[in-house]
Amino acid sequence: MSTDELTTDITTQTENSPRELLTRTFFFLCAALSIVTTISIVALLVTEAARFFSLTAPLLGVTGPTASIVDFLTGTSWNINGGEFGVLTLVSATVMITLGSAVIAIPLGVATAIYLSEYASERARSLLKPALEILAGVPTVVYGFFALIYITPALSVVFPSIGTFNMLSASIVVGIMIIPMVASISEDAMSAVPDELRQAGYGMGATKFDVATGIVVPAALSGIFSSFILALSRAIGETMAVTIAAGSRAQFLNPVNPASFLEGSLPMTAAMVQLLLGDITGGGLAYRSLFAIGLVLFVITLVMNVISDFVAQRYREEY
Amino acid sequence: MAAETDTGAIEDFGQVSRTVGTVFRYLLLAATMFGIVMLAVLLLYVANDAIRPLTADPGWYLAFFLALVAPTGIAGWAVRRRDPAALTFGTFLVGMLVVSLMFSGGVALLVIDVVPPLVALAFAIGLAVPIGATVGLTRYAHRISFTLRLAATTAVFYLSLFGLPGPIGDAVGAPPIVPSLVALVQSVPVIPVDWMMVAAVVGGGSAAAIGTYVASVGDGSAGLYAAGVALAASAAAGAAGPLVGVDSVPAVVITAVALVPTTAYAWRGGFTEEGSPLGLVFAATVVVGALVGAAAVDVLGFAGPQSWVDWGFLTSAHSGTAENAGLYPAIGGSILLMTTVAALSFPVGVGAAVYLEEYAGDNALTRFVDVNISNLAGVPSVVYGLLGLGVFVTYLGRSAGTVLVGGATLALLILPIVIISAREAIRSVPSDMRQASYGMGATRWQTVKNVVLPEAFPGILTGTILALGRAIGETAPLIMIGAPNVVFNLPTALGSKVSAMPLQVYAWSSLFASEDFYTKAVPAGVVVLLAVLLAMNSVAIVLRNKFERTQ
Repeated sequence: MSTDELTTDITTQTENSPRELLTRTFFFLCAALSIVTTISIVALLVTEAARFFSLTAPLLGVTGPTASIVDFLTGTSWNINGGEFGVLTLVSATVMITLGSAVIAIPLGVATAIYLSEYASERARSLLKPALEILAGVPTVVYGFFALIYITPALSVVFPSIGTFNMLSASIVVGIMIIPMVASISEDAMSAVPDELRQAGYGMGATKFDVATGIVVPAALSGIFSSFILALSRAIGETMAVTIAAGSRAQFLNPVNPASFLEGSLPMTAAMVQLLLGDITGGGLAYRSLFAIGLVLFVITLVMNVISDFVAQRYREEY
Repeated sequence: MAAETDTGAIEDFGQVSRTVGTVFRYLLLAATMFGIVMLAVLLLYVANDAIRPLTADPGWYLAFFLALVAPTGIAGWAVRRRDPAALTFGTFLVGMLVVSLMFSGGVALLVIDVVPPLVALAFAIGLAVPIGATVGLTRYAHRISFTLRLAATTAVFYLSLFGLPGPIGDAVGAPPIVPSLVALVQSVPVIPVDWMMVAAVVGGGSAAAIGTYVASVGDGSAGLYAAGVALAASAAAGAAGPLVGVDSVPAVVITAVALVPTTAYAWRGGFTEEGSPLGLVFAATVVVGALVGAAAVDVLGFAGPQSWVDWGFLTSAHSGTAENAGLYPAIGGSILLMTTVAALSFPVGVGAAVYLEEYAGDNALTRFVDVNISNLAGVPSVVYGLLGLGVFVTYLGRSAGTVLVGGATLALLILPIVIISAREAIRSVPSDMRQASYGMGATRWQTVKNVVLPEAFPGILTGTILALGRAIGETAPLIMIGAPNVVFNLPTALGSKVSAMPLQVYAWSSLFASEDFYTKAVPAGVVVLLAVLLAMNSVAIVLRNKFERTQ
């Protein structure tokens, strides 16, 4: 009989006393609150977004202006006052921030993880890990200010045509703030690679470099990959840094054209903040567009989290 | 050694270049350092803009070097040679003094500008009486059934806080019959001076904490004695404060929140058997050095740095000009928000963690809750802001941007983090301890209450403080729920509009964007925000280290 069964057996007699029932109910309600939160988020975003689109709004009895769902998903211009709600404009800016931060965070994060798990001494680890955590702990509004005041002027020395608000500085700070996420999850995956594999490599005459790049990284690949997705989903949801640094004028930019990083645009999260700070009357079209953007954002981050979970589970090497 | 004589053979075995490995290693190190160095440079820039160390007289630096830095270095070196543990203790002591002084500033802000002392006293009494009754009932009335006891304590709490018939009566329009204890205390015609009431509430709370602590390491009578001394010290500070030029209320708060706990820690670490008195020498060197340095520059007339983070910045409200702009309402707002967030998220988060770790079976529902919590942790903060806006403001009709709505939204935001860290802390409690408790015939709740929670408490506390550190830097959810950018007064109720430190920084750097604000008010705000974060995180890290050592 395992100890857990024993516990159950002993405790069933007292399990139904009023005190036990009361405390049990309280603890259950606390846990259930997380489900209530999720349901509220989904229900709220879906209903408000449904009231925004002309396709679904009549079903909910909404009168007044609505927006076409096709224009919302395929339009390439965003102008609240002109009634143009092309979310692709905002998505293109978000994609740029994500790509830009990935270029910084992925190589640096993986290199950091390799260093911490394979090379660093115990003492160096104990100093470097808290220092890296600080990168993620600095409030994002502070990062936004850094990008605007210190990084953009420094970049303008190299790129004279850079705007006051630009995607490059925003991408840099977002990249820096997600380095710890890539590093810590990748490092966990690398530390989980059993020592026998490394020893076998050394036994074959491999150098430390061969072992790190040829054995440890491939063996931990699923964890490393899932860390990328999680970190990028964080970059997509990042709000204050991009709001301050990337600008407030929505324009459709080509995300893969490096030159467009020197211009400013309006990522999804920044657009939400801008809508809120503007004069939106409760229940108006602008108010409802907020939830439509929120729904797109929520779905993207949720899908990325689920994929990351799936990758970590499905492709994990079992030892 | 065989290996040394056979080197020729090994070289023949194969040529391996060490260059690639060395280059790779240093590339990795450079990559690791990149983010850290970049952030350090940015922090140096912002600190330089905010504090402006170059504007100070050279004499100012010389005075502080001679009085503070040099003696600290010498004392630290000497103490470390004799007893390294003493240096750690002394450093902790200085750190505790600094952090607790910051903390007492926050408490002073609360009792001076947010909660009138009479109201605080009334609620303290209104809560202390029923808590005392509950403790008495639990301890001495085992014959009475649990249901009856629960009903009795609920009734006492209700009566003491709301009176009869209270809010339920208000709802149906019944006239009040018995006033609540809280109302009764507030209607007493003769009231003592403000600082006496503050001494009773804040000093009493601090004395109770000290007493419990001393009683837990020593015996009961020592705890009672210590509590008495602590309360007397707080009261004495109130009487003596005006004589040395400090107002009574701040004097009481600083003594009760900063000086008394620090003294208790110094006494425990310095004068008990396992203590290291040398640590006290180090701490005294630092404190005396700082005081002597300050007195010396004052007497000799050396000007310090013309910092933008000064007393005026910390105690005044927003202004149209960067020189006069201050952070006071935002600091107060952040304190109130964090209190609300902690009060909401701590019990719920710990409750959920206890359910998942101790009660839930391994079934589909548990797994669903599990996945759900980790997904909630990945939802962007701006979506939580939408949740607050849509549910609390639009559907429940609360007014936008209040302490309650902001606190509830931020509490939902950090709840997954609190749950995850509390679960880890609970999981690290060894299973043997639970089995021993069950073996003694304890029920599940008794085991949770007497074994699991006390063991896991430091870990839970660490996780909660780190989560609060995340919440205090959050701006987007507050913007979403409509918190105003500019607030000139401290919020005095849960229903009043609130700003927060990061929100004020954002307002200055976007709505008041000008060279003036960029170089004066914003860096100062950033430095204050980071200092508060640093204090919170260092408390969490110290707690975690202590916790890991006892495991």
